[in-house]
Amino acid sequence: MAGVFEPSANLIAKAALLVFLEVLLAGLGWWFFAPRTDYASAVGWVLDQPVPFSHEHHVSGLGLDCRFCHTSVELSATAGMPATETCMTCHSQIWTSAKLLEPVRASFARHQPIVWNRVNALPDYVYFNHSIHIAKGVGCQSCHGNVGKMALTEKAQTFEMQFCVNCHRDPGPNLRPKEALFDTDWHRTAATPPPDALMAQYHIGGRGLTDCSICHR
Amino acid sequence: MSARTPTWRSLAEHEGDPAFIARVAAEFPGLARVLAEGPDRRQVLKLMGASLALGLGGCDPGDPKGRIIPGIKAPPGIVPGIENEYATASVLDGYATGIRVRHQAGRPMQVVGNPAHPASLGAVDPIAQARILSLYDPDRSHGVSHGNQQAGWASFREAFERRRTAIDQRKGDGLRILTGTVTSPTLVAQLAALQGRYPLMRWHQCQAVSRDAVRLGARLAYGRPVEAVYRLDRADVILAIDSDLLSTAPGHLRHARDVAGRRNPVAGPMSRVYAVESTPDLIGVMADHRFVAGPREIHQALTALAAAILRQGSPQPGAPAWLAAVAQDLAAHPGRALIHIGPQQPAEYHALVHALNEALGGRGRTFDLIEPVEAAPIDQATSLGDLIADMADGRIQDLLILGENPVFTAPPAFAEALKQVPFSVSLGVELDETAQATTWHLPEAHPLEAWSDARAYDGTVTILQPQVQPLFGAHSAHEVLALLAGDRAPDGYAIVRATWAKLSDDAWHGALSSGVVSGTAGRPVDPPLRSGATVLPAPPDRQITLLLRPDPYLWDGRFANSAWLQELPRPLTKLVWDNPLLVASALARRLGVGNGDLVKLSAGGATLTVPVWIQPGQAEDCVTAHRGWGRRQVGAVGKNAGFDFLALGDGPLSVEKAGGTYALATTEHHNPLDAAPDGVVRHGTLAGFTADRQFLQTPDPQASLYPPQPAGTMAWGMSIDLNACIGCNACVIACQAENNVPVVGKDEVLREREMHWLRIDRYFEGSVEAPRVLLQPMLCMHCEEAPCEVVCPVGATVHDAEGLNVMVYNRCVGTRFCSNNCPYKVRRFNYFAFARDEVRSIQARNQEVSVRARGVMEKCSFCIQRIAAARIDADKEDRAIRDGEVVTACQAACPTQAISFGNIRDQASAVARRKASPLAYALLGELNTKPRVTYEGRVRNANPAIVEPSA
Repeated sequence: MAGVFEPSANLIAKAALLVFLEVLLAGLGWWFFAPRTDYASAVGWVLDQPVPFSHEHHVSGLGLDCRFCHTSVELSATAGMPATETCMTCHSQIWTSAKLLEPVRASFARHQPIVWNRVNALPDYVYFNHSIHIAKGVGCQSCHGNVGKMALTEKAQTFEMQFCVNCHRDPGPNLRPKEALFDTDWHRTAATPPPDALMAQYHIGGRGLTDCSICHR
Repeated sequence: MSARTPTWRSLAEHEGDPAFIARVAAEFPGLARVLAEGPDRRQVLKLMGASLALGLGGCDPGDPKGRIIPGIKAPPGIVPGIENEYATASVLDGYATGIRVRHQAGRPMQVVGNPAHPASLGAVDPIAQARILSLYDPDRSHGVSHGNQQAGWASFREAFERRRTAIDQRKGDGLRILTGTVTSPTLVAQLAALQGRYPLMRWHQCQAVSRDAVRLGARLAYGRPVEAVYRLDRADVILAIDSDLLSTAPGHLRHARDVAGRRNPVAGPMSRVYAVESTPDLIGVMADHRFVAGPREIHQALTALAAAILRQGSPQPGAPAWLAAVAQDLAAHPGRALIHIGPQQPAEYHALVHALNEALGGRGRTFDLIEPVEAAPIDQATSLGDLIADMADGRIQDLLILGENPVFTAPPAFAEALKQVPFSVSLGVELDETAQATTWHLPEAHPLEAWSDARAYDGTVTILQPQVQPLFGAHSAHEVLALLAGDRAPDGYAIVRATWAKLSDDAWHGALSSGVVSGTAGRPVDPPLRSGATVLPAPPDRQITLLLRPDPYLWDGRFANSAWLQELPRPLTKLVWDNPLLVASALARRLGVGNGDLVKLSAGGATLTVPVWIQPGQAEDCVTAHRGWGRRQVGAVGKNAGFDFLALGDGPLSVEKAGGTYALATTEHHNPLDAAPDGVVRHGTLAGFTADRQFLQTPDPQASLYPPQPAGTMAWGMSIDLNACIGCNACVIACQAENNVPVVGKDEVLREREMHWLRIDRYFEGSVEAPRVLLQPMLCMHCEEAPCEVVCPVGATVHDAEGLNVMVYNRCVGTRFCSNNCPYKVRRFNYFAFARDEVRSIQARNQEVSVRARGVMEKCSFCIQRIAAARIDADKEDRAIRDGEVVTACQAACPTQAISFGNIRDQASAVARRKASPLAYALLGELNTKPRVTYEGRVRNANPAIVEPSA
C-alpha cells in the first residue's frame, strides 16, 4: 500500500514548522521591541500646538534664559508654563499683528487660556521634582535635549523608568557645573570637573537614590 | 502588667462564643463563604475574563494627549507645585476652632490645625477635617428654590421687596429671625441694626445640641451670665460627671491637650481623673477611676459631695461607696482640684458644681470666669417654645431661618406650626428637611466659601476668610441679612471688614494670616457666688432614662452626608453607618436581646423599632441614643443611615423586644492580633511604676537569624503614648484625607473590607458592667524585619534605605500573602475600585499621593510624601532634615500629642527621647519583627483608697 504522505510532505512539514517558529519569534520580537521604539514613545515627534512656538528662535536666537518662562523650575516640582501675560511682555510691542500670534492675543483679550499639547509626560505614579534636579546639577538638556535646536518642541527622551534609573544609579557623568545648568548645548570638556568632584560638590550620596520611595509614593 | 483581669475586644469574645472566635481569627473571613460554595464553571470563566481585562487594563500607558493650561496672568503667591495654607475657623454651634486650609494649585484640599489658635493649639477634630468633603459635596444646595421650584436670587429679592412695605408698616411685628448660638460680632451687629429698623422684630436662637443647662447653671450660681474657662493643665484632681470635656464641649481640643500633658508619669507628676458616667465618653477612657452611675446615682453623688465639701460633713448614707475617697482627694487639693459636669445634666446641678469649685478654691487657678462668649446668652428652649407658639397662633408673617435645620432637630410641633407662616425662608448649605418645608430656600455659602467671624471658647475672635469663590452661587448669612436691610448688592468682605474697622490694614492682614485677632480673649469677670444656689431638685424617677446625645461625628445631623464621618468607627462602639440604641448588658439580658436584635421603644404615644447594641460600662437604668441619624431629606450618602430617635415623644420610656434582627457594622472585631490582649496594651498602676520604673518591660527578644538592617544616618520611627490617646479618631480622618483613603460603605465594612490605614483598637478590661477601656492606635509598624516582605512573590513591598517599608503599587498583583503574614493586621486590600467609585471629589484628593487601583494592597506609608518633601527641601539647602520637620498627618491632627515621629538615629530627636522612656515597648516584640513604631505603656494613677471590684 502506498504511503499516505508523499516524500515532499517532509519538506512541507519542516517548512511549516520553520514558518511557525519565525512567526512566533517575530511576534515576540514585536511585543518586546515595538514599545521601545522612538515611534512608540514619540521621541522626536512634533505635536501640533496652538502657536508654533520656536525654542530655537527664543533660546538660541534671542538668548532668553529657560527661567524667563519656566519660572518655578528652581522652586517647585513643576517647572511652570508661562502665563499669556509672559508672552505679551514682548508681543504687545513686537510682532503685534503677526497672524501666528493671534491665539496669544486672543487669549489675553478674551481671558481664555492657551491650551498647549503636552510634549513630555510622566505617569501619575511618578513624582518627579524639577527643583531638586536643578539644585543637584542636572541640566535641563539632560532630559529635554537641545531645545535650542528645536524649531518646534519635541520629546528628547523616552522617559522610561530605565532612563531615570540609569542616572540615579550613577549620577556623576550627568552632572554639570552650576553655570552650565541652563545651557542647552553643553558638552563636557577637559576643563569640566570630573564626575566624582561634581558629586562631592553637590553633596550627592547618602540617599538611597534607587529606592522605590524616591520617586513613587 | 495586669494578669488578673481579663482583657477582651468584643462581647462575643468575652462570652467565649467559639464560632465567632473562629470566624474573626480567619485572615479573610469572606473567603470561607466563597470557598464553601465551591466554584462553578460560569464563575470561573467570568473571573478569568475579568482578570484578563484587568491585566490588559494595566498595560494602558495612560492618556497620551495631555494638555497644559497655564494662566492668563500669574496669580500672586501661587506657584504650581507649591502648597499654600490660609487660616480660618471651623465653627460648630457658634464656637470657633482655628483651622488652616491646605491648598494645592490654588484649590483647598485639606483642613489642618492652626497652632496659633488657643482652642486647638494645632490639633483638628474629625468634624472640622470633614468640612473639605462637604465643600465639594455634589448634593449641596445648588440654587434658590421657591415652593420646591427653581428660582433665582433676583426673584427672591423681588418677593421680599414686595413684603417689605407691610413689614415696614408693622415696624417688624411678625418678622422673626431664627439662628443657632451666635458668637459672630458681625452677625450680632447686623441683627442689632435690623432691630433698630424694625423695633418689633424678634430674634430667636435654638441650637439642637442644647447647652441651656450650662447657661442657666452659671446664671443661678453667679446671678449673671458668665463663661467658665477650664485650665486643666493646672488641675491635679479632676472629677468629671457625665462630662463632655474631651468630646463635645467648646474648647475640647484644648482640654484634651491640657489633660494629656499631665498623664505621662515619665514627663512629670500625674494628675488623677475620676469619671462618673451613665454612658461612656472620652473622659471616662482617660480616667483613672470610672464609676458607672445612672441619673439617680449622679444625684446622690452630688448631694453627698455637697455635704462633704460645702458642709465638711461625712458622706450621707446611701451615697456610693467610692464617694468619700473622691471627696477627700478633691478636698486635699485646694486650688488644684476641678469638677466638671456635662450639659445634659440639669441647671441646678451646674450651679452646685460651680459652688463646689469655688469651695475648692479653683477660681483663677483651675478655672477662670469670663464674659459670655455668646452674644445673647438666652434660654434657647424658651426662645424656641415662644417661636412655635407664635407661629401656631398665626402671629408670624415672615420667618427667616439662618443655617439651622429645626424641622429635623426641633420637636415635631415646629414643622406643624411652620405651615402657618406665609413667608418662610431657610438659608442652608444643603437641601434639608427645613429647606423642603419653607416657602423659600436660599443656598448658603459653605463656611470655607464665606467671610465671617466667630469667637472661640475663651472669647478669641477668628476672622473666617473664604478659601474659594462660592461654588454654587451661594451667599452667607451676613449677605442675606444685608439684603434684608436693603442692601441691593451685599458684599461679605465689606460687611465683615466694617465690623473690624478699628483694625488697621496691617492688623487686619495679620489677623487673617495668623487666624486670631489679638487681644480679643474674653474679659475676666469677678462675680461673687450667690448663696443658696445649691439646692438640688428631686432625682428623676424614671425606670429607664433615654439619654439623647449628639453623635460624636454627625452631630445633630448636619454632617450626615459626609461619608468620612459616617464610616468613622465611633470611639467606644466602633460602629459605623448606624446608631443603634446603646443598652447595658443587664438590661439586654432582661429583655432577652443581643447585639443587633430589634426592640420596640415607646414614649409619649410614639413608637420606634430599633436595633440594640450592648455597651459595656453603660448604666443599667439608662439607654443612649445618638442624634443626627435617620435624616429624611439628605444627600445620597446619608440616606437610610440610622434611626431618628427624635420621633419619640416625651414621657416615660418603655422598651420591649420586637423580634427580628438588623445588620450592624462594627469594626471592633476586625483585624484581631493573634496574641493575648494583656500583653498587647501594656498597662499598670502608678504605684507599680514608682516601685519599678521598668515594670512594663519584658526580657529582650531572642537573637535573630536575619542579618541586621544596614545602619544609615536616617531611620524613621514613631512612638505613640497610650497615656495620651483618648480615641477621638482625629488621626484616622487626618490619615484618610492625607492619603486618599477611600470609604467603602456599610456592606463592605460588614465584609471587613474597610480601608483605614490607621485604626484605633479598643479593648475592654474587667467586667461587662464596669470595664476599663484600653486604646491602641494601630498602623503599619514598618518592621525592620518585615514579615510581609519575605512572602511577597513579586517584590511589591520592600524596604528603603531609611527603614520605610514601602508598597510598590505597580508591582502588586494582589496575592494578599503579605496581609496574611502581617502579625499586626494593618494591610488593606482594594477588593473593588473603591477609589474610583468613591464620593470624594477629585478636588479633595491629595495630589502628592497615588490613588490605588483595584486588586492592590495598601497600608500606612509614614506619610512618605511629607518625608519626600522635607528631604528635597533639606537637600536643596545641603543640610540634614531637622527634628520636627516631618510631621505625619496623624501626628499633626492629634489633640493630645500622643504621636511622635522622626529620625530615631538622632538621639536628640523627640521621638528618640520618647523611645528611651522606661514605658516604651514594641508590640509583639517577641516575634523579632523589630517594629519602628513603639508604644508607651499606659499607667493608671489609681487612688489606693478605692478598691475596685475585679472581674
